[in-house]
Amino acid sequence: MITVDEKKMEWHQGITIRELLDMLENTQFCAAVRLNGKLVSSPSFDTTKIPDNAVIYILPLIAGG
Amino acid sequence: MAEFTLKEIKSLEYVRPEIEKGYTDHSLHVDLSSKEVKINAIEPKVKEKFIGGKGYDLWFMWNSVSGKTKWNDPENAICIASGPLGGTPGYPGGGKSIVTTISPLTGIPIDSNVGGYFGPYTKFSGFDVLQITGKSDAQIVVLIDGIDSKIKLYEAEGLTDDSYTLSAQLTDYFDKEKPVNISVVSTGSAAKHTELGCLNFTWFDAKRKRVRYKQAGRGGIGTVFAHKNIKAVVARWGSVSMKSNNPADFDAMKNVTKLHAGEINELDPKQNRMALVGTTHLVPIMNDHDCLPVNNFKYGQHPEAHNIGEAVYEHIFDKGFDGCWRGCAVACAHGVKDFVPFTGPYKGQKVFVDGPEYETVAGCGSNLGVFDPFFILEMNFYCDTYGLDTISIGTGIAFVMECFEMGLITKEHTGGMDLSFGNRLNALELLHQMVRGEGFGMIVGKGIRKMKAIFAKDFGADAAIMQDIGMESKGLEFSEYMTKESLAQQGGYGMALKGPQHDEAWLIFLDMVHNFMPTFENKAEALHWFPMFRTWFGLCGLCKLPWNDIVPEDNRQNPEPAKVVKHVGWYADFFSSITGRKVSPDDLIPMSEAVYNFQRLFNLKMGYGTREFDTLPYRAVGPVTVDEYLSRIERYDKDLTENYKVDITGMEIAQKVAVLRKHREARYEQLKDAVYKRRGWTSNGIPTVETVKRLGIDFPDVMELLKANGVE
Ligand code: SF4
Repeated sequence: MITVDEKKMEWHQGITIRELLDMLENTQFCAAVRLNGKLVSSPSFDTTKIPDNAVIYILPLIAGG
Repeated sequence: MAEFTLKEIKSLEYVRPEIEKGYTDHSLHVDLSSKEVKINAIEPKVKEKFIGGKGYDLWFMWNSVSGKTKWNDPENAICIASGPLGGTPGYPGGGKSIVTTISPLTGIPIDSNVGGYFGPYTKFSGFDVLQITGKSDAQIVVLIDGIDSKIKLYEAEGLTDDSYTLSAQLTDYFDKEKPVNISVVSTGSAAKHTELGCLNFTWFDAKRKRVRYKQAGRGGIGTVFAHKNIKAVVARWGSVSMKSNNPADFDAMKNVTKLHAGEINELDPKQNRMALVGTTHLVPIMNDHDCLPVNNFKYGQHPEAHNIGEAVYEHIFDKGFDGCWRGCAVACAHGVKDFVPFTGPYKGQKVFVDGPEYETVAGCGSNLGVFDPFFILEMNFYCDTYGLDTISIGTGIAFVMECFEMGLITKEHTGGMDLSFGNRLNALELLHQMVRGEGFGMIVGKGIRKMKAIFAKDFGADAAIMQDIGMESKGLEFSEYMTKESLAQQGGYGMALKGPQHDEAWLIFLDMVHNFMPTFENKAEALHWFPMFRTWFGLCGLCKLPWNDIVPEDNRQNPEPAKVVKHVGWYADFFSSITGRKVSPDDLIPMSEAVYNFQRLFNLKMGYGTREFDTLPYRAVGPVTVDEYLSRIERYDKDLTENYKVDITGMEIAQKVAVLRKHREARYEQLKDAVYKRRGWTSNGIPTVETVKRLGIDFPDVMELLKANGVE
């Protein structure tokens, strides 16, 4: 089980951030997430595997300075 | 502490204009040459058209300067205004000041949006805008005392030049009992020797019992301030409440304040955590997306960038509330306690550093090839104390370092200093030289445009390569984002009215990462809407960060999430509730459009403001050098073959660089055409007669100006 934006979701071995985002709606503008407190940016979405019990926040569109 | 004296040379007692729906409807004018102080009523038609803040600043400047005025002429004005919504405690970002003047770097109006309490205190003291003209023989301190209803001018003797100490001394001097009543505007000791001077705006941090600072950094406003011989401008005001603006609909204002602040309190910890890390979260994100400037914008990434990002600064920042306006829930204005500089006059002493923000980290860190968070703190501290803009300093020194590494300048020119990328001590030494008014630092302090001319003329450096790598446009140094892969952001910088600062438009991610605006028309639409909406914050006395750095949870369901439409609605409600002028979200853009176009016309009046000035150094557009091309060869090869249908078989890299350049530069020109059309400008970038009439800025002198420039 993982927590995504404070909602519980099923977890499976090897799931990546990209796969998670593909399962969710309206995530096309997501360029970064916070995975267990650490920033992960879109170039690493395909290769970053989500561990079980992870807490994830989908960060808003990056707005710049 | 050194002894100083303030000799009162002028005192004007006044009847304080009451605040009505966010406005005092009065302006304050100080002429430093004649020592005349005047208070004037602001005409309703000026209020209707220019709204406040930057709009007022520009209007009063327009009437003060001629097309021939230079930055150091006495008639050049420094104008400072908050805005009708400025000074609302608790509204996130609700207390900004906007400063304008004719910039020594660009020759056109520069505007800077800054925190601290000065703008709101000046308004509550009775003035929607302060205009300072003239030049004083002696060093002057101006006091706007709203508590005692007095404007005073003092001749200062023995006051330090050092902004860090000066602000603390004057805060103590003018209200020892209640230092929170004081906000000081000052520059530092390097402003008079350089053209990169900034202004420090203070507020008193009651918890930490110390003066804190925010900077009106860009464009050399501090240099104008120092040239006028102003030591400080001080505002004194007492209590501030949600009623201070005397809003038209108090309950509605309270309601929208609660909604916006409540959302930030709830969502910031889940989103960018700005209350903990400020804007340093951007460092790793920009780095991961190849947008963090490294070694003079040559590269966008570096393996050591994590050393200067949020993960490090979160632990260095002093914990506590860090709003640069009262009750701002974002509270992102962090600082570092007990930092001990390892160079300069404060070497070995404990100091408090206000910052760094993303721009300073990237400009004075990665762009100089330095990934040491403490070096960045020291650069930050001395820039503030010496009154220097961290962005122009970072971008300027990065240019110097690349020139040094390319052999365009040598130790012979730098006074023996090795200025290779990564040389921390010599980067700091340049700042110390700027204060002492000596050495190569004096040349660096002139800004990139003048450096290019000096290096070419006096040192025989290649002017063409410096044109490509010198990151300035209109004379202003670039702020700290890589734009090579975002045409829209190239436009955001190249067509920005004051020069390449990102506060007009920040479109890199929408364009480059999300490909949200594939056509020229899409980009032009964005380069209309975003600059206009962002201008609106500066008219009202607000900070833009709470608009789109924390967003509603359902924002991503909106088809245009970048506009954060829910917040736009709140801003319309906020404006209506204070001013009583009922507006809908759709009304905000036309409000800004009038001022935006007026500023473009102001550029034209000063001899600029046409297409030829909306240019970019090629480094902002594509790879200048062969090794730069090679570092991202797949990307550039793909661009050539897929987007421009070029057969690259057998091409040398240098040839590819040249062909890519031809295509990318042509594309930028096409973008200009599309943007000018969308903004209602001629193909030469001048607002048409129809546009100025539609916006109601067809004043006789505007029409004459247009006619003189062939627009009828
Ligand atoms: S969001 Fe940050 S910069 Fe803006 S007013 Fe609040 S504390 Fe100041």
